[in-house]
Amino acid sequence: MKAPGLGWLGPVAGLAGVYLLFALIGPESFHSARNVEQILRQTAIVGVAALGMTLVIISGGIDLSVGSVIALTTVIVAAMLGRDAPPAAAAAVGIVAASLCGLLNGVLIAGLRVVPFIVTLGTLLVVRGAAKGLAGEQKIDAPLTWLADLLAALRPEQKWMLVPAGVWLMLALALLVSVLLRRTQLGRHIFAVGSNEQAAHLSGVPVARVKVAVYTLAAVFAGAAGVLQFSRLTVGDPTVAMGLELDVIAAVVIGGGSLSGGEGSVLGSIVGALIMTVIRSGCSQMGLPNWVQEIVTGGIIVLAVALDRMRQRRVVRA
Amino acid sequence: MARTNVLIALAMAAAVAAGCGSREPAGGGAGDRGAGNAKYTIAVIPKGTTHEFWKSVHAGAVKASRETGAEVIWKGPLKEDDREAQIAVVENFVTRGVSGIVLAPLDDTALRPAVSNAVRSDIPVVIIDSDLQGDEHISFVATDNYKGGQLAGKEMARLLNGKGRIVVLRYQEGSASTTNREKGFLDEIARHPGIRVVSANQYGGATTESAYRASENLLAPLKKGGKLDIDGIFCPNESTTFGMLRALQDSKLAGTVRFIGFDSSEKLVQALSAGEIDALVLQDPFKMGYLGVKTLVDHLNGKEVPRRVDTGVTLVTRQNLQQPEIQQLLKPDLDQWLK
Repeated sequence: MKAPGLGWLGPVAGLAGVYLLFALIGPESFHSARNVEQILRQTAIVGVAALGMTLVIISGGIDLSVGSVIALTTVIVAAMLGRDAPPAAAAAVGIVAASLCGLLNGVLIAGLRVVPFIVTLGTLLVVRGAAKGLAGEQKIDAPLTWLADLLAALRPEQKWMLVPAGVWLMLALALLVSVLLRRTQLGRHIFAVGSNEQAAHLSGVPVARVKVAVYTLAAVFAGAAGVLQFSRLTVGDPTVAMGLELDVIAAVVIGGGSLSGGEGSVLGSIVGALIMTVIRSGCSQMGLPNWVQEIVTGGIIVLAVALDRMRQRRVVRA
Repeated sequence: MARTNVLIALAMAAAVAAGCGSREPAGGGAGDRGAGNAKYTIAVIPKGTTHEFWKSVHAGAVKASRETGAEVIWKGPLKEDDREAQIAVVENFVTRGVSGIVLAPLDDTALRPAVSNAVRSDIPVVIIDSDLQGDEHISFVATDNYKGGQLAGKEMARLLNGKGRIVVLRYQEGSASTTNREKGFLDEIARHPGIRVVSANQYGGATTESAYRASENLLAPLKKGGKLDIDGIFCPNESTTFGMLRALQDSKLAGTVRFIGFDSSEKLVQALSAGEIDALVLQDPFKMGYLGVKTLVDHLNGKEVPRRVDTGVTLVTRQNLQQPEIQQLLKPDLDQWLK
């Protein structure tokens, strides 16, 4: 926790750099206001999920089940809407179901003392399977409701909103998590557990309870991301968000989160998610083939993690 | 620490520059050929980029690009068969402001908002391969699957001289294209009172493996004294046809019944020449890509275009297998277009 509050500076500079680069070499449309709105829209899902992942990674853990939880949420929301549930209730049930997945993760990790990687690798498959089973192994159509507008491109008469509701939701949740981390006891405990679990335990931090809280919260955010995902698809899709957990983890790590725990920032994670969307958007609008895009994104992730390691070593030496 | 982070930023920028810069000149492509259409930039968005089927669509789109002079950008979803990824690709092209989009939607519902958004931004959309709900797209260019099924039905009736017992192994619940093929086949068969459909309610499922199992289960009760108690079989797509073929080969029954399949693969063509399959119905993905782009360019030039363009189906049998136009369908010369 050296130089608190400055960890996000690098990612922000990175975001500015990547954006300027595409503004220079990309098509003119890239630096339009409309594209900024679109980049924000396309970031919201990974961004919201990354808020939960930030908590998990600061606590020294990992959650691989995020993508599956998102898929399960879209299926549940679609199924509820199909049974004529009001949209808000459908979304709420989806998020509650997601939080139960997180509770399961937390209890297994804290109770069985199995490493989070293995537990969540297991629930990744369990939850994905449950989503497919619940959906009868096909996508579920749902009636159109206001949920579908959460992340839709703004119509001309909605321009006063600046960005769609889903993006505002991401920003509000980011503020909330930021306050949680900096101003509450739970926040301090999460940092303590991630920095040195043994020491935290010895100084009276209820480590097990903190872990259960962290994974449950992470799944609540994954559930919220699932509602946003449903909004984009307008159908419940049990195969959606496959591998998305890796994007989410990458966002946190690019944003200065350390996989060895104790480090990470909300702003950094959101910026990390934005960086990946900017690269995707820029490459896509330049008409680059997918393989170039994948190599570029992959290179940046490895680079970010490598530099994270360098920084770690310096901290140890200091 | 802050300095390290600035280094990250610079390194990232360099990586992006290296990755993207090298490919940038490719954009101009077919720019100056063709008359007057050079100003058009058309995004062609398939369901995936690695399957043979989509490579043929790509080749067709490139051919149309060379003929019309419009620039074609070929861009599939970053993740194969991922609805979310395909929505993002459509959105990016809308923001970029291309002249038009040719799209093979992964989902008839999920892609609707993205297409509406394109149309609202005055970007016309032509749908290829699989239909999209709603009527905002200017044209739908694809195989007439019902007609393909009918074609198979006619051939079956001819092979059986209008009488016999047959089975149909369906593909999957909720798959519109194959359901139409099955319906076309059964409707055609219904016109021949001498032919009785013994079973048409079994599904092969998504994979070759599941189709193989379903075929075995379907055939088991129909075996009488080492022979099949039926005269004909129809399967509506590649995986069911192959699964059924394997089941017939395993029990040494291949060739003893009239067998018509849909789509092609190397193995299926081998079985066709060996007489284990009597006929295959082929689609024309090359034409889908070609006519998709052509239709869009016509629309951009103010011409009236049909709402529905049929890319045709062809019946392949052992007799016409060696004809050049059939060989062209089975093994299109992709290198000529995609080099």
